[in-house]
Amino acid sequence: MVNFPRSEATGGTETLLLNVGPQHPSTHGVLHFMLEMAGETVVTAKPVIGYLHRGIEKLAENRTWQQVIVLTDRQDYVAQFSNEWAYCRAVERLAGIELPERAEWLRTLMGELNRITSHLIWYAGVTMDIGTLGTPFIYAWETRERIFDFFEAVTGARMMPNWMRIGGVRTDIDPALLADLRTFLERDFPKECDTYEALLTGNEIVVSRMKGVGVYTAEECVHLGITGPFLRASGLARDLRRDAPYGAYAKLDFEVCTDPVGDSLARCRVRLRELRESARMCIQLIDGMPEGDIAVKVPKALKPPAGDCYVRTESPRGELGVFVASDGTTRPYRYRVRSPIFYGLSAMPRLLPGHLLADMLVIFGGIDTSMGEIDR
Amino acid sequence: MSAALWLRTIVGLVALLALLAGVTLFGVWWERKFIGHLQRRRGPLHHGWHGLLQLPADMIKMIAKEDTVPTAADSLLFQFGPVAAIVPAYAALAALTFAPGIALIDMQHGLLYVFAWETMLPLAFALIGWSCANKFTLIGGLRAAAQLISYEIPMLLAALGVVLTAQSMNLTTIINAQTGWWYVFKQPLGFVIFSVAMLAEMNRSPFDLPEAESELVAGYMTEYSGMKFGFVQLAEYSVLLVGSYLIAALFLGGWNMPFLPASWLWLALKIVLLMTSTMWFRGTFPRLRVDTLTQMSWKWLLPAALVNIMLVAALALWLGPKVY
Amino acid sequence: MGIVDRAEEAGFITTTLDKLLRWGRSRSMWPVNAGIACCSLEMMTTGAGRYDFDRFGIMFRSSPRQADVLIVPGPITKKMQPIVQRVYNQMAEPRWVIAMGSCAISGGAFADSYNVLPGCDTFLPVDVYIPGCPPRPEALIYGCLKLKEQIANTSFIGSAARNKALYVPPDLGEEWPDELLRQFGVLPADDSSEGGSRDVGEVRDEG
Repeated sequence: MVNFPRSEATGGTETLLLNVGPQHPSTHGVLHFMLEMAGETVVTAKPVIGYLHRGIEKLAENRTWQQVIVLTDRQDYVAQFSNEWAYCRAVERLAGIELPERAEWLRTLMGELNRITSHLIWYAGVTMDIGTLGTPFIYAWETRERIFDFFEAVTGARMMPNWMRIGGVRTDIDPALLADLRTFLERDFPKECDTYEALLTGNEIVVSRMKGVGVYTAEECVHLGITGPFLRASGLARDLRRDAPYGAYAKLDFEVCTDPVGDSLARCRVRLRELRESARMCIQLIDGMPEGDIAVKVPKALKPPAGDCYVRTESPRGELGVFVASDGTTRPYRYRVRSPIFYGLSAMPRLLPGHLLADMLVIFGGIDTSMGEIDR
Repeated sequence: MSAALWLRTIVGLVALLALLAGVTLFGVWWERKFIGHLQRRRGPLHHGWHGLLQLPADMIKMIAKEDTVPTAADSLLFQFGPVAAIVPAYAALAALTFAPGIALIDMQHGLLYVFAWETMLPLAFALIGWSCANKFTLIGGLRAAAQLISYEIPMLLAALGVVLTAQSMNLTTIINAQTGWWYVFKQPLGFVIFSVAMLAEMNRSPFDLPEAESELVAGYMTEYSGMKFGFVQLAEYSVLLVGSYLIAALFLGGWNMPFLPASWLWLALKIVLLMTSTMWFRGTFPRLRVDTLTQMSWKWLLPAALVNIMLVAALALWLGPKVY
Repeated sequence: MGIVDRAEEAGFITTTLDKLLRWGRSRSMWPVNAGIACCSLEMMTTGAGRYDFDRFGIMFRSSPRQADVLIVPGPITKKMQPIVQRVYNQMAEPRWVIAMGSCAISGGAFADSYNVLPGCDTFLPVDVYIPGCPPRPEALIYGCLKLKEQIANTSFIGSAARNKALYVPPDLGEEWPDELLRQFGVLPADDSSEGGSRDVGEVRDEG
């Protein structure tokens, strides 16, 4: 028999080491949690990452500047457009490329739609974690499919679009498609959102399980570098789309969704409101879409001048930073990603102790991790 | 025993086994279909008419699956676990009366007998959880024990109200006492308590903590493969059947139906409706947390059940057994 | 089922049982709910509303013990390889493996990475390869139906089934001790003169 360590926290009884993951239904990929448990209560929690480390940053050094876009798609497979966009913006700034306005608007539209699909995956995940049999999961997935149909019609691929290019975008969007999308976002999507809210924040069992669970203050978030909905749910209205506008965000009217409470339920509310906000922004983008070119001419063998730059974007999970360095050749000298939810995950060892196993999974599911982005 | 009695017993046992197997096969199919349609999809569709052959296929596969025993597991208890789960589940069926005079044994204290066997199940689940030498099954088994024990008490107390009024523990007498008003109208509080506790007893959502998929992989059944897993599932469905039967018999009038002649069809219909509603809960509700679960039982259901008994006893004394 | 697996000759009972087994096993394939990377999202999509795996009796189980099919949906890193191997080992026989997506087939977009294995067939006996990055849900369904076909057309009588269970990965085969291989009948029992003549590649005879 194994001798389990005795813990002060449990009054000297033995604790249990519980390995949750890497293959576990609730770890959203391949995260591994080493939990020291006292009965069902978590005493210490240690996330173990790296099961999906594919070496994307190193691989990028062996690709030309344009080829890296293939990797950024797969880097965070839940928010593909956001990652493409962040990388393209970094390279464009490094090379001093100005984009036509239509390209910016198209990118913003896809970025916001991608935020919706990403939040829908979070919604599907968190409702599974809290113990439904998959009904809300499948509802969310269905809406995601509708948007994926649009992605497919525009880019030719469902998940890995490889659509943004350095200097613009690959294909234009047909006006008829835009009109269809607008109808969907205006007529069907709010109804779907009502259903989501009724099934999550409107459900008494969910509220009783999430209220006051996993409270994290804005100050603690800032100390760890946590951004995105996680931070906004703690009451700090920090959103790069408003604070450091890029794309077409400066011309859009939107609200930064915040919630002062900072618990699991607040994180749900913020994301659910962001769904509606994003849809509203998409409608504005479709209505105000300017005419013009979708890309500028960029040499195939792009050689940005030697130097480096760091660009921040607001991905669905928070502040996604991309650092690229060039030595004046056709390949990046260094490509580095600041993955937003990696910092969120680093809050787990402080956030989880004292909670029950069931709560622990709900807190973890509520922060919307994507292991592809953390491990890269 | 006479030869006729032997024959009757054997035929009855086989019939009960067939009933259990049939209910499980049909129930799982219906559950997958029903929840599928709740989720805007079709459920089993391509194997047999609307997927009716799906469950036989699953069963054949499960019977033929390798029977794994983890190296660290307590081999004897691990092998014994499914038996310990299926025996009480099967034995409890013996006392159920499905129509006037149609029962394997119409026991004088049938209700007590059924409850006695049902209370054996948490023991089996805890045993299973312990024997697998897996931490997930251990937590699942202990959860099952804690949950079932805490909900048995309000369940029994709520059933006691019915026993007080019907003045019998014989299921036939209890059902026949409801030819007029059903007990659900006479003891609404008792009905609510009994149904909630029974739902917990069936391990159904929102009380499916012992097998909480998102937390414990598959709970106490995590390590079972093949037919052992099948047996545990069979036991679960038997509890579902017995639970639905008890709710229908104790509170919903059993085979009685207002303005219509009594028939076993009504009982079957009520059982099917009750089973379907547990599936509906399963498709809709999230899971309770383990502390809220036990608190709900001890702090809310138990006092309410005591109040219910006192109320029923007082009313029965005051109005007399003929009226109430 | 022991009778069928151990039977060396096909008789009336064994063939009937074999038919039944092929029918049952091919129509009830439960995959492990093991998401790895991008493809796992498409795997879930296939299980969700529009594509609905449940129509074909394909139902995700979280516990590998109760699952029949391991869908490998993503790149296998060096750190993940022992985990996937263990999940496979935990599954009860008979079991099948589907390599979903280019990463699981060959490493895909990360083939030249220092941390990604060139496909999961380096350590698992893969039955069906589904190309795509990621494969569409339709492709996954097609792959699963191909696997169903394969199961329905594979006899479980005699040595074929046993050899499938005894699959020795080509590169690991070198490390297996001779006694073990002899015990399982991969090497002839009396052939103790030399160990170099074994032909591990032919073990996988699926008929």
